[in-house]
Amino acid sequence: MQTRKRIWNLAVMLGLVSLIIASCGSNAATPTSTPSSTSLDINNWAGIEQAANGQTVNWYIWGGSDSINRFVDQFYGKALKERYNITLNRVPMADTVDVVNQLLSEKAAGKTTGAVDLIWINGENFASLKQANLLRADWGQSLPNSKYVNWANPAVNLDFGEPVESLESPWSSAQFQFIYDSAKLQASELPRSYAALKEYACANPGKVTYIAPGPGAFQGTRFVKQALFEVSGGAEQWLGKFNQQLWDQWSPKLWEYFNQLEGCLWREGSTYPKTENELHSLFANGEVDFSITQAIAGAGSLIKDNLVPVSARAFVFDDNMIGDFNYVAIPSTAPNPAAALVLANLILDPELQAAQILPENGFGLGYGIDPTKVSDPALAAKLSNAAQQLGDAATPASDLAKSLRSDIAAEYQSLIEQGWEANVLRK
Amino acid sequence: MAKWRRWLGLAPASIIIIGLFGGSLGYGIAQSLGWLPFLGQRQLSLAAYRNVLAGEQLGGQWWQALLFSLWVSLAATLGSALICLGLLSSIAERQQQYRGLSTISNLHLAIPHSVWAMALLLVLSQSGIFARIGFGLGWLDQPSDFPVLVRDRWGIGIIMAYITKEVPFLLLIGLATLRQQGREYLLVAQSLGANRWQRVRLVLWPLLAPSLIGGSLLVLSFIFGAYEVPALVGVRYPEMLATMALELFLNPDLHARAEGMAVSLLMSLIILVVIGLAWRWRRAEQQS
Amino acid sequence: MSYRIIVWVLALILLVPIAVFLIYAFAQGWFFPALWPERWDSGLFLRQLADPQLRRAFGQSLIIATGVSILALVLGYPAARVLELQTFRGRGLIYGLFFLPTVVPSVATGIGLNIVFLRLGLAGTLFGVMLVHLIPVLPYVVLTLGSSFARYDRNYEQQAAVLGASPWFVFWRVSVPMLLPSLVVAGVLAFLISWSQYVLSLLIGGGKIITLPMLLFAAASGGNQSLIASLSLIFIAPLLILLGLVARYLGSPATGATPRP
Repeated sequence: MQTRKRIWNLAVMLGLVSLIIASCGSNAATPTSTPSSTSLDINNWAGIEQAANGQTVNWYIWGGSDSINRFVDQFYGKALKERYNITLNRVPMADTVDVVNQLLSEKAAGKTTGAVDLIWINGENFASLKQANLLRADWGQSLPNSKYVNWANPAVNLDFGEPVESLESPWSSAQFQFIYDSAKLQASELPRSYAALKEYACANPGKVTYIAPGPGAFQGTRFVKQALFEVSGGAEQWLGKFNQQLWDQWSPKLWEYFNQLEGCLWREGSTYPKTENELHSLFANGEVDFSITQAIAGAGSLIKDNLVPVSARAFVFDDNMIGDFNYVAIPSTAPNPAAALVLANLILDPELQAAQILPENGFGLGYGIDPTKVSDPALAAKLSNAAQQLGDAATPASDLAKSLRSDIAAEYQSLIEQGWEANVLRK
Repeated sequence: MAKWRRWLGLAPASIIIIGLFGGSLGYGIAQSLGWLPFLGQRQLSLAAYRNVLAGEQLGGQWWQALLFSLWVSLAATLGSALICLGLLSSIAERQQQYRGLSTISNLHLAIPHSVWAMALLLVLSQSGIFARIGFGLGWLDQPSDFPVLVRDRWGIGIIMAYITKEVPFLLLIGLATLRQQGREYLLVAQSLGANRWQRVRLVLWPLLAPSLIGGSLLVLSFIFGAYEVPALVGVRYPEMLATMALELFLNPDLHARAEGMAVSLLMSLIILVVIGLAWRWRRAEQQS
Repeated sequence: MSYRIIVWVLALILLVPIAVFLIYAFAQGWFFPALWPERWDSGLFLRQLADPQLRRAFGQSLIIATGVSILALVLGYPAARVLELQTFRGRGLIYGLFFLPTVVPSVATGIGLNIVFLRLGLAGTLFGVMLVHLIPVLPYVVLTLGSSFARYDRNYEQQAAVLGASPWFVFWRVSVPMLLPSLVVAGVLAFLISWSQYVLSLLIGGGKIITLPMLLFAAASGGNQSLIASLSLIFIAPLLILLGLVARYLGSPATGATPRP
């Protein structure tokens, strides 16, 4: 009896002591697997495919769309397994910023091998990870399929104004567009500029709103940025390096526009939708007349997802519609970098690129590659065919091309967000 | 021997709480003081607190968020407590075990706050189920005719989400008290000739007060610090402290993490002070 | 107000959202001002049920919540026993300590824990997630068991011991049966809190451990109401069943149930 009790007590004490030791010897915690990343040679692609054989790639990706999830599983998951014997583990995130935090914490904990292999990323999240030096370097332009990417295009080699520097590889392209309901409005009644939008809003009070600019809602920031282009008389002057003087000159005009607009807005501008999907819901239920999208398929994939009515169509203003690319990046702590590289390369495969823009496949964003760089005639034909099958719900390609503008220096981003908050939201 | 075993009994649970909870809190404090090793920043300062309390942009935001958080949490807590007290007063003298009521209230616990908030959104938004019924009955012509009940400026949606969720919770606590000791006292009071109002005011309320106040304090601190519901049925401005803290924390500018941590620590401090004061006040009440 | 009306109103408040979720889960493209969906489709809901990722998340949620309940009972039982059956200096302090996590927002503790767990090599493991769930869970288990111990009569244990029963025998045949309702209720509450955790699972699971709330929040960010409704139903169904099963215990005064706001 006594001995049993003593053994029991001893066991408990031992357990406690080991717990305490474990919590003190913080850095002694061994990494779960040894990173093979250091030994990977990006120029020996066969070696990378070999190393990736049998690996599982953990792809952290925004998981809010059932149809995008299915597209990823069906198109990339299958191809990875069949061609390379790689298992795709799609990790659905509510917000990409959660991955940024995960990586930062791993770094703070001194981990050299993390949990994330690949991230769908762009803009401020890319800038954060770049700033914290957490991304795998020197691979984006070395992928075999990178030959299809037009790296000379500033819209490709700058991500929200931040140099890409081979730290990420493009997946798809997007351009700012509006959505209207063709059952309620004729194409001829649509506003085609910010000035016209204000007129429309004040003629139809409460029927227009936009997404509040801010972290995690780049569409709203972009909406304001485009207005800045228009009130200042053109986008060209904003290209190039950040120019404080130019900003100081035109920002009062910008806030003047938005304050005049505010009274005509939905709920008189006392509140704004926080995300693209909140706006889609307002639009779908007839609370407002316009929504916003970035997809090349326009309203197509949204219709497929039942987010908007089937009569929804996309349109653009005559000018100042910002277009850009989005990317995949590999953290420097990726446990399976070889598989991540293979996946990033697979994404640029012209055949899969042709599949991704079609609304019926559920993704609906534009090409990450430049179709003119594809020399194989069969593949080139596939790409141009797909581009012609976007359906009624997409904006005509000529309209998109005519209004396309590229994004500007990253510094304007936070100026717009903070300025809007102080001069419009809290006024 | 007994002493040793006492601590042995307490140790496992205490180690979990002290070790993990305390460790994270310590790390949080370090971050709020500007210890951000992933940015190579290791100098400690109170800059984050200064920015939050008196900074040009953050300062205004902090005080507004504090006021809004106080308004929402106090209104929701008081509302829940009063409704619960009213309900309990009207049924306290039943001669049964309140089985039906406690079963239903218990089932309410099965719905997490986040799911509850989403349901509320579907039912109460300007194009939600109620608005559609209103439209079907011809009471309104378009969504904007329906009152703004969720995602509104005054936090009505948040408050409603919490009240509907916390009334069943407080009912459970109140019913437990009633079942244990309520009816005997009420019967004694009745036989001594007290009328209904006197019985409610002089017997029932003092009886329920300790447990309901305790429960309400739990509710208050929960609402003050939770962010799921305001994130789902709230608006960007005005925002609650928990939303502000998380937003700063998730800001792509990593230096904002210090401020985010400062906000959440200040928030914790405020709620601890409130709870502490309430605790002392109750003890003083009990002793007098 | 009559008792019956109150019960019905509360039942209605509970049933309306569930009904709304049911309609939305099977409705397609149902927009204002349509009072009733025109198109129905069970495809999305069935696809969710068959989705391997959802099944895995469901399984992991189940393992974690069950593990947390057991761990919380094992850790909480001795603590509650000591706290309620003995008086000693520092008792109030320790109660306060256990109470602390219920009032400090998880936003404040989440990220710090992430770092601590990464250092311990516990991040991304089932055990790590269980351990971190104990922080919000333990207080409620200790409080629930504690208020049941407050009414506990130790004489039965002493009599059994005098009659020659071993401590284990006393524990299994006297203490546990006497406290059974309270233990069941505390376990269910622990399950409930663990099942609903989002932030802590996200931060400690690090994407390696995916639980149901994480799928639900990802869906919520996408605004597809049919998807949200489907996942909400799948999410709350086990909780409703579980609470329904133990309603009898929950309703009895002896359990000392301390539910969560």
